[in-house]
This record gives sequence, C-alpha cells and structure tokens, in this order.
Amino acid sequence: MRLNKNGFLRFFCVIICVLQVQFSFGQDKFVLNGNVKDQATGEAIIRAVLRIEELPSLGVLSNEYGFYAISLPRGKYTLVVSQLGYEKYKEQLQLDSNLNLTILLKSANTLKEVVVESGRKNDNLLKAQMGTETLNLNTISKLPVIFGEKDILKTLQLLPGVKSAGEGNSGFYVRGGSADQNLILLDEAPVYNASHLLGFFSTFNSDAIKDATLIKGNGPAQYGGRLSSVLDVKMKDGNNQDLNVNGGLGLISSRISIEGPLQKEKSSFILSGRRTYADIFLRASDEFKDNILYFYDLNMKANFKIDEKNKIYLSGYFGRDELGLGDAFGIDWGNKTGTIRWNRIVSSRLFLNSSLIYSDYNYNVKLKNGLTNFNVNSNIKDLNLKQDYTFYLNPKNTLRFGFNSILHTITPSIFSGTVINSNPKKGRNGLENALYLSNYYKATDNLSVDYGMRLSAYSLMGGDAYNIYENDLLVNTIQLNKQSLGKTYVNPEPRMTANYRVTDQASIKAGYARNVQHLHLLSNSTASSPSDQWIGNSYNIKPEIADQLSVGFVQGWKNNNYELSTELYYKNLQNQLDYKDGAEINTLADVETAILFGVGRAYGLELLWKKKEGILTGWVSYTLSKTERKITGINQGNWYNAKQDRTHDIAIVGVYTLNSRWSISSVFVYNTGDAVTFPTGKYSIQGQTLYQYASRNGNRMPSNHRMDLSVTYDKKRKKRIQESWNFSLYNVYGRENAYQINFQDDPKDLSRTQIIQTSLFRWVPSVTYQFKF
Amino acid sequence: MMLKKYFSTILMGIFLLGCEKEIQLPLDPNQSLLVIDGSITDDAGPYYIKLSKSNSISASSNFLAVTDALVIVKDNIGQIDTLKHEKEGEYKTNKIKGIYGNTYYLEVQVADKKYTANATMPEKVFLDSLRINPLAINGEIRYNVIPVYTDPISLGNSYRFIQKINDTLDKSFFVFNDNLNNGKVNQRPLRGGSDSLEVKLKDIIGIEMQCITRPTYLYYYSLNQQSGAGPGGGTTPANPPSNIVGGALGIFSAHTVQRRQVQIK
Repeated sequence: MRLNKNGFLRFFCVIICVLQVQFSFGQDKFVLNGNVKDQATGEAIIRAVLRIEELPSLGVLSNEYGFYAISLPRGKYTLVVSQLGYEKYKEQLQLDSNLNLTILLKSANTLKEVVVESGRKNDNLLKAQMGTETLNLNTISKLPVIFGEKDILKTLQLLPGVKSAGEGNSGFYVRGGSADQNLILLDEAPVYNASHLLGFFSTFNSDAIKDATLIKGNGPAQYGGRLSSVLDVKMKDGNNQDLNVNGGLGLISSRISIEGPLQKEKSSFILSGRRTYADIFLRASDEFKDNILYFYDLNMKANFKIDEKNKIYLSGYFGRDELGLGDAFGIDWGNKTGTIRWNRIVSSRLFLNSSLIYSDYNYNVKLKNGLTNFNVNSNIKDLNLKQDYTFYLNPKNTLRFGFNSILHTITPSIFSGTVINSNPKKGRNGLENALYLSNYYKATDNLSVDYGMRLSAYSLMGGDAYNIYENDLLVNTIQLNKQSLGKTYVNPEPRMTANYRVTDQASIKAGYARNVQHLHLLSNSTASSPSDQWIGNSYNIKPEIADQLSVGFVQGWKNNNYELSTELYYKNLQNQLDYKDGAEINTLADVETAILFGVGRAYGLELLWKKKEGILTGWVSYTLSKTERKITGINQGNWYNAKQDRTHDIAIVGVYTLNSRWSISSVFVYNTGDAVTFPTGKYSIQGQTLYQYASRNGNRMPSNHRMDLSVTYDKKRKKRIQESWNFSLYNVYGRENAYQINFQDDPKDLSRTQIIQTSLFRWVPSVTYQFKF
Repeated sequence: MMLKKYFSTILMGIFLLGCEKEIQLPLDPNQSLLVIDGSITDDAGPYYIKLSKSNSISASSNFLAVTDALVIVKDNIGQIDTLKHEKEGEYKTNKIKGIYGNTYYLEVQVADKKYTANATMPEKVFLDSLRINPLAINGEIRYNVIPVYTDPISLGNSYRFIQKINDTLDKSFFVFNDNLNNGKVNQRPLRGGSDSLEVKLKDIIGIEMQCITRPTYLYYYSLNQQSGAGPGGGTTPANPPSNIVGGALGIFSAHTVQRRQVQIK
C-alpha cells in the first residue's frame, strides 16, 4: 500500500513540474470561450472541432456541455468550427481581451453530397481517442433493427470489440469482459440494468438521446468503477427555439416526445415516452389472454440558464417492465435515475460541473398459489455527488480534476410471503470515493498525451454481518453499524493515452489503463435475467482489477473519407468471480460461501474500415479475439474460455442513399459461436439419462450469421409536418441461428440421444412510422 | 430455474417464433467412467448398488453393466456387508439395515481402482398428504401437487420427490430444502421444468418422498439448473458435485422413503 501511495505522490510531482514549465510560457494571453450550439434547436453540440486558421497545429474540442475555451496571445484570428452534419462556421476575431462567443452551427443538408473540406482533414485524428467510438444517432435511424425499434446498444454491437449477449439482445460484452463490467451512464447516472424485456430492447429511447460514446477500457480518469468499458449516453437538452412534437408508431411499441423552450433561448425541456403494446394483442387471444408483457419508459430533461455563467440541468429516467402469467406469477423491474447538474463557468479558463445523482434499480417477483404467496425483491440504490473541473491552462494543457463520492445501498433478494419463515439477509451499504486528476497535453503539433490518475476507495459499511472465510471455513464475523466504516480498499488507477500524428491522414495511438470495479453482478445463468443481483466488495470479495495495454493505427484516404483503424489490446484481469456448481445464489444465507475467485486474460485485434461520406456510407468491422478465465475450483484450475469468447466477429453495415426520399440500408453479421460446454458422454441414474462433461466451455455453438435489410422513405415536408416510413426485414435469408442447444432422449427411440437446437427469429418484418411537427 | 420456465412460456407466447430442429454436432471423445447408482433406504431391504459404464453420446443408451466388482457396504455400528452381483450390474445387500441417523460407507473395487462414499440417513419427516393445486392460465387449468409435510425445527433438511403420472416417470428432479421455510408446513408445489409431463384431469399422480442428505440435494439441484447450452441456456453444465471419491460418476444416497398417490379431480 505504501508503495502505491508513493507512486501517486510521485505522479503529482510530475504533473506539477509539467505545469510549472507551462506557466512560464502562459503569460500575456486572452481566453476565447463560450458554447457551441445548434442554430435551429439550441442543443449543445458535443465534440465540435475548433481551430484557428493562423495556428494550424491548434485544435480544441467542445466538451460534453458544448463548452470550449482557447487561450491565445493578443492578435487577429480566423476561428473555424466544424462538426459532422453541420455547415462549417468561420469568423474573424480581434482578440484584445477575454472574449465570450456563442457559436451557432447550421445543420447541413445531409442529403446533398457533402463537399469534403480540407480544414476537416485532421479532425478525425484529433478526435481519434484510443478505443473510443461515438455513435451518430442519424446513422442509427437508417439501420435495420429487429421489431423496428432503433437501439443504440444494438448498433454498438456492430463495432469491433463489442459483442452481443445473444441474438436480438441488447446486452453486450466489451473486449472479453462480462456484461456487468460495462459502466452504462445516462446523463451521468449509472443504469444498473440497461435492458427491457429480458434484453430484447434497451432502456434507451433513441428519440430522447443526443449522443452515445463507448470507451473500451481506456477511459479518461474522470470515469471509473467498471473494468471493460464506459458507455456514456447523453440525453437531448430539448429545443429552446420552438415547440416540437415527434413520435413513432411501430408494430410492437410507440413513442412520443415533446420538446420546446421554457423561456426562448434560455431554457428548454424534453419529455419522451415509450410503451410496448404487444400485451393488448395477447389479451385479445384466448390462448395468451393471461400473458402480461410490456414495458414503458419516460425520459425527462430540463435546463435553465441562470446567467451567462451558470446553467442548471435536471434530468430523469423512469422505466418499468411487467411480465406475468395471470395472478399466478409476476415479475416487474426497472430503473429510476435522476441527475441535477450545475454548469458553472468559474473563470474564463475554469469550467465546473457539479452533479447530484440518484440511481435505483429494483425487481420484484410475485408467485401465487391458491392461498399462499411468495415474493422476492431486490434493490440497489446510489446517491452520488460529483464535482468535475476542466481547467484550460494554456493551449498545450487542459487539466481535468475532481472527485466523486457514491453511497451504495445494496439489498439482495429478500424473500417474503406466507410460506417464508425467516430470511436473515439484510442490505449492506458501501461508500465509493474517487479523486482524479488528468492532463491533456499537446506536446508538439503532432503528439498529444492524455495522462492521469484516479484514486478509488471503497469502504465497507454496515448492514448485514460480514463473514470471513478461509478455505471454506468461517473464521470470523464482523458486524458493522449502519453508519460506520469497515475495511477500505484503496486502488490507484493510472491512465495514459498518447496520439502521434504521422501524416495528415495517419496517426499512431497507444494507451495503458488500470480500472477497478467494486460492485459485482451475481448471475448464475448464461442469459441475462432481471433477477441477477449486485453485491459490493466484502472481506472475501476484493475489488476486480483490469490492466489494459493497447496500441492502434489510423489511416485515412481521400481526405479521410475512408478510414481504417486498427487496435491491438491485451488485458489482464484480477479478482474475477464465479460460482461453485449448484450454488443457490438467491436462497443461500450467505452467498459468499458459494463464490470462487480467479484471474482472467483477454486479447485481440480490432479492425474498422469506414466510409463516411457519399451516396454509400457504412463500415466493415472485424474482431479477432480470445478471452479466458482461470478460477480455482473450476475446470481443475486450468484456463478455460469465457462464455463470451468468440474468435471471429464481423459486421458489415451499409447505407445507400438513392435520392432525397429513399434510402436502403443493410447489416450483415457473422460470428463464431459462444464457448459452451457440451457433454462428451452419457450415463444412467435411476432410469434417467444424465450427461457426462469434461472441460468447461471447450465447445462452440454453431456460428451465427444473418443479414437484415431496411428501406426508409422520407416524405416531402408539408408545412411543419415531416413524416417518414421505415420498413425492415430482420434475418433476410431466414438463417436459424442457435439460441439454445439441448441433449435429450429421442422420444421415438429412448436408447438414442438427440441434439435439439432452438432458434428464435427468422424473417421478422417490421414497419415504423415516424412524424415530427 | 423456476423463473426461467415462466420467462420462456411468456416469450414463446409473444414472439411465437421459436423453432426447434435436430442437429448434428462434432463432439469431443468421451472417457468412459464407472457410474455408481446406489442407495440405502429405510425400507426393509435388500438394497441395490448399480454399477455401469458411461458411454459416448452417439452410442446406445443401453449401458454396459459392470459385473466383476467388489462392493462392500459398512455402517457405523459395525455391520459389514459384501454385496453379491445379482444381474446387469446390480449388487444386492445381504444383511445391512437402513436406520435413521446411521452412516453408511460404500467401497467399490473395480480391477485395481477403488471408489468410496458415505452417507448418513436423515430422520424421517412424515408426508401428511398430497394436495392438488389447480391453476387457471389462459383459459386452461393446469394441475400440480403440493406434498404436505411439516419441516422440523432444525435447519438443514433436504427432500427429493419422484413424481409418476399414471405410472410414467416425470423426468424433472424435484428437490426442496428449508433455506426459506424452516420449520413450516410445505406449500410449494412440485413444478417441473420444460421436460415435465402435463397433468390432466383424472390422472393418477404417485409421489415418492425422500428425506435426503445435503450432498444428494446438491447433486440433484445442480442437475436441475442445467438446461441447455448457448445464449438461451442456463447455468454452464458440469458433472454435478457428488459424494463419491475416486473419480466415478453418480451418487450414493441414504434416504427415507414414503409413497402416496392421488387422483386429479
């Protein structure tokens, strides 16, 4: 521990030294700052590129609130601002004092062939962060999706390094990590279960979403808490110019959103809701009239501009799933999140965002049998305070620092009902704190380095007693008071990425990051289930640690209209969890008696070839990867494939714009089947056939592939009304992809074993009607 | 898992898209192992220990019997019983008696390999009655049976139920413990997995209730959790944890037995 603290101190010294050098240069300068916004809607524009024509090596991005700051010596400059989908903005400036400038970008007519501007050449390189993908919501809207419900999580799965948790499933695995190792944030609030209807839909209503960024394990120091990735989803702010209504009608679900100004140009709101209605059809049929199955969700956001320097954002999400069979069985689950944020421009160079975040995920199971009933409920609640400072020190250094303090209240499955006698389980609390500091350092025209350190600490808190086990034997029990702190795990998490521009169209990247995870998902099933439960660190469960090393190369052609990016990564995982065979993780008095610990490793090659502009756009992504675990007590302690280990993963995505009305898009995916365990033999016990297994996950499901097609028709705009139709066909050639494989006695010849494959979706057509006025 | 069955019922209901077909898969070669299927019960006896060999998936399920083994069962009160091979790998006890609270030690020697196991027979918990539990879903009445018994005050009782519907064995493994309802009258029905038989009006349901040891519970519970491979499957399957030492498959159980039957009406 002492060594680690020393390491941290040394790191601070280095940062301070670097800063002092920079301070001596940083005199006699003025700051140009302000916000970048969409002219028509007032939406903040994230990651717009700001350049000064006279200083070609300088490039600055607007932050996640659209704020930017550049410090420059006195002089005359030409400011150029660009962002994909917007017309280029150019303005002459005379800088004699600090200047606040709001930049309004005009949406480009995307259907016109966009002329590639030479000024944009380097933008991709500037934005090319290690292991980072940003999803453009416009691209998503054209892609074919199952049930006609566009979904950022499903589109993400078409990117290299991201694997789907199953066909039609919104769950995902990043670079060999498990599903719970993704930090999914909706306006900074963690979403603990990002899926509806057992994964077939995600919790993200694309109408309410502005932007989504996925960082594959190389997150900057302000992010932490999960090993594999950060998915940072930002809700729209709402139009502050006009009132707009837009919505969509689909076969399975419909959605509507309203956005508009509360005070023109000063404050706005957006309200967006969605509900599935398959249950209404089910109710009409005799065969399924008792089946209950629906979800709904609601996104709300409002922002208030107090003055030029202060802005408040309120955002909230509420979603619920209901599933049941008459009154015999029911399960409902959902997330609630709420965020209050205060953006403050403290000085021309210092931007501060303070957030108070609430997140709650719970599920309830009800079983009824005549007079008896049985309930299970489980809950995880977070209260989170965050302060994040961005300090635009000088053109070469942008510092980011802050803290984050989360109080977790974790209540595992609690049973109640007429048959339940006792359930000694209580909830537990945990306090997760983090301090971070990072610096984006533009060393030369061609070299930039983002380096930093996050110091995370997790303190056990009271609630249920903590049992300590050694070799499966209880050696001690510790009972903490609700408010007092027990053991604290402190972990320094160094992070670094570097980007070197070789030519105008090529760059090399490298990165290292350590991530630490203090919350763990207990799931004993291969498919995601709402009843999977979270558990915090304890005296037995130590924080999970991942160290990832990655290198990459980006090459563009034809003014970067074509781009090939390559990344190689190696990841080492510590303190990974699994369960003993036959563990009853829900009903055990102390689930920690059933947990096994071990290590993991993952490595791979990711290729992404993109065509960004023109009549035909799209990408081809390919991942070659391996992910393994080694856990004492499983597979005789030998390395074995993690279930999400898939050797090859290919996605081809194309959008072909026929004319201003019609466009066609198609997706093709191919991947090696999941690593699974098939029996090698069989035997008989009391007249029943049982199966004999050898090594864990040594077999493969058959490989998956399918193609989807979709056609979008944008109707000519009539006055204010804009309408469009989308027709899609999922699984065009009706491939029967294996969802499950079972071994069973052949009913016609009991001495023979049959292998039965279950597939889910063949030829799923859908129609969605969209409107906006 | 019980929840899983509900989920699939509901999902199939909504999507109506699931389709099944028989496929061929390349499978790893199998190492044929000794299989021990033995139990000592509180019935009068004799009791049988059955020995066979496991086989590859593609081979026939008429398993090879092991007929030349030395099988000995001892108990903690000094009885030693060397079993006699009767037929098709079944070895019969001569004198040992199944008594509550006694521990039974099994020794099996095949060629020069030795396998051992032990089990302590639990106290008998009385099966009071079988209650029929009708459930109306989607206009159809489904039936299952609730075995009515009072769990003893002490924690740690485990039960297994074997269900026969009109004399046909239901392939689900029904095992209960008292983690949640210690000391209470059982109200949980026998609700099987997807390969469970459907129970109709007029059917005769035969139930065998066994009070089993904790390792036997774990053995059957693990089997129950394994349902197919793939994204739609359950827990990753493995050979269930067994009380047999020496590398054989199977289970050696000491349990009590009670049988009752009821007609659905």
